[in-house]
Amino acid sequence: MHAEVAGGAREEVRSVWNDELEIHVQVAGSGPPLVFLHAAGGLRWGEFLDRLAESYTVYAPQLPGTHPSDQHAIHKVETFADLLLMYEELVHALGVAGAPVIGESFGGMIAADLSAHFPSLFSKLVLLAPAGLWLDDHPPRVFELTAAKPEEVPAYLFANPDSDVAKAFFALPEDPELIPGIVAALVWAQGCSGKFLWPFPDQGGAKRLHRVTAPTLIVFGSEDRVMPAVYGEEYARRIAGSRLEIIEDCGHIPHVEELERTLELVSSFLSA
Amino acid sequence: MKVLYCGQAAYRYLPSDFAQRYDSVVTTPYLDLVEGPKIYESLHSHVEELLLAARSGFDGVMVTEHSQTSYDLSPNPNLIASILAHTTQVEQLDTAITVLGRSLGKSREPLRIAEEYAMLDALSGGRLIAGLPVGLSYDANQNGGIPPIETRARYREGRALLEKAWSATEPFAWNGKYSRYPIVNIWPRPLQQPHPPFWIPGSGSPGTLSEILGHDEVFTYLSHFGPKLTGPRIFNRFWDMAEEMGRDRNPYRLAFMQVVCVGESDAEAERLYGEHIQTHFRNSFGSVPQSGFSLPGYTDIRGVEAILKDHGDMGIAGRLREISFRELVDTRAAIVGGPETVREQIAEFVKEFRIGNLLVMLHGGSMPHELARYNIGLFASEVLPHLQGIWDDEDWDHHWWPTGIGAQTPEGSAAAV
Repeated sequence: MHAEVAGGAREEVRSVWNDELEIHVQVAGSGPPLVFLHAAGGLRWGEFLDRLAESYTVYAPQLPGTHPSDQHAIHKVETFADLLLMYEELVHALGVAGAPVIGESFGGMIAADLSAHFPSLFSKLVLLAPAGLWLDDHPPRVFELTAAKPEEVPAYLFANPDSDVAKAFFALPEDPELIPGIVAALVWAQGCSGKFLWPFPDQGGAKRLHRVTAPTLIVFGSEDRVMPAVYGEEYARRIAGSRLEIIEDCGHIPHVEELERTLELVSSFLSA
Repeated sequence: MKVLYCGQAAYRYLPSDFAQRYDSVVTTPYLDLVEGPKIYESLHSHVEELLLAARSGFDGVMVTEHSQTSYDLSPNPNLIASILAHTTQVEQLDTAITVLGRSLGKSREPLRIAEEYAMLDALSGGRLIAGLPVGLSYDANQNGGIPPIETRARYREGRALLEKAWSATEPFAWNGKYSRYPIVNIWPRPLQQPHPPFWIPGSGSPGTLSEILGHDEVFTYLSHFGPKLTGPRIFNRFWDMAEEMGRDRNPYRLAFMQVVCVGESDAEAERLYGEHIQTHFRNSFGSVPQSGFSLPGYTDIRGVEAILKDHGDMGIAGRLREISFRELVDTRAAIVGGPETVREQIAEFVKEFRIGNLLVMLHGGSMPHELARYNIGLFASEVLPHLQGIWDDEDWDHHWWPTGIGAQTPEGSAAAV
């Protein structure tokens, strides 16, 4: 059963960038606010967010260009620096400044650099297999992943690509008429994210991470084949007081492949 | 009809299992596959074949740009074009020099392209055809490092800069998104006024065709995907759109590339060329990974959805790595035969689809230099003269042909200025 690509209980829209751009935000849950920044393939509202929504009101913005209402909005975001400012404006427009933020992969790169640019924007920072750093000896394989054949992708993203949870992740809808639209949206989301990840998933964040003051949790799968787990150590080294957790036998998407363990780590960190 | 010789500088000495083991672009291991003297021989033969074509009466010669590519050793085709420009000038050959072309979507120095094309046009006495491709995705995005989603926007800005650099009456500042030059005042400028003709390669998507027709430029269809399958769709789309947009049916607005091999007879041609043509397709486009034609963001989301719903424009693309000679011939990806067969098949095709500019590829892949010379010679004597008269009866002007042609003087062209 294919998970809803973007499936919050309701949608909010905020105007940013001197009213040049609208950003759509999927919202669900009850309790204190929490911000979630999705990965390069676009927002997928799965069980991780549903479970968090039991204790928090989850706000999940959709990267400009990845919402069906305006797929060309990405062309209004010229640089990564502009994207960070737009997101900062969005957080204030939503009234959620001071909430914790969780970012996965590309979303983690954004969350980390937002926390570096605006140290008091978020109360806590959770990074799930974040992109954003570059080590010559352990190059991320984001580039290869983008060019990979569809049948090769599960092995990039999951430690156990044949598991039920991996198969469910890649399942396509029963109705073949729906497939071109879904695949095209996924490819386009990668294209939009790619504006900031290509040719390297590195926008110079390393220079700025010393500015992060929010308590930080970094989670990596030990078998991450896109962002090797060594990047966890690198992030931990650069963010003072941060905590690194490596989940064994887990790939690039800990909150899907190892949902319970990830939830346990994240929930206890957030409530501490 | 104008008939141009299209040359690509393949490395001619790849192993027979190349297509099974390697991709032909980006990651192809140079040191494992290449020997120095054979690189020299491949490039040198390529130049000699282009010159032979010019000396044998072809209306034009053409080169293309590919970086990090085993089937076209041509990161900057302008280097080869300059040899052709000078040599044909000295030998007083009235040949169009076609660069198809430097990629404005890939380049981080778009002004350099404007400057190089200007140099070529000047060196050739105004015989340049300026090809302006967007750039293949693997080349612009993987080799060039350009984010796929920016490729077209960079192309458009680069084109605007090139056109302004060639036409502005005073030095100007260019504070663009993708390139910034405080003072633009290029020396030299092209001889041809207002500019050399623009030929635009494309895959035939509706968006690209509409832009090309809107600007009144030549749509150049470089197909490797079996024109019998893809041609009717693309060409009918082109002429339908031309009519909708109020453009006339002048065949010279359309250019098409065709691989051709001529022998004494059909059987002899198959014997001589069969193996080489098969390896040519398998080892070149056949070994470009599918993703390389459109990395995420390179094609607009509407285009991606359209292709997923209907693969028809892609023809034999998915099978090229293992394609057989027979299927290449059946889909007309290659025309292989004796002179009469070749004349007939080409004439039928170009007349049906109103093609006014034919780009013939007479060398491919492993074909040895001597065989290429034979092919060029036989084509030039037995086929070329029969094709060049096509469209004479319809009395169209060719608005997209270099104005330096037909203006040769011993000192070089003054007429185009």
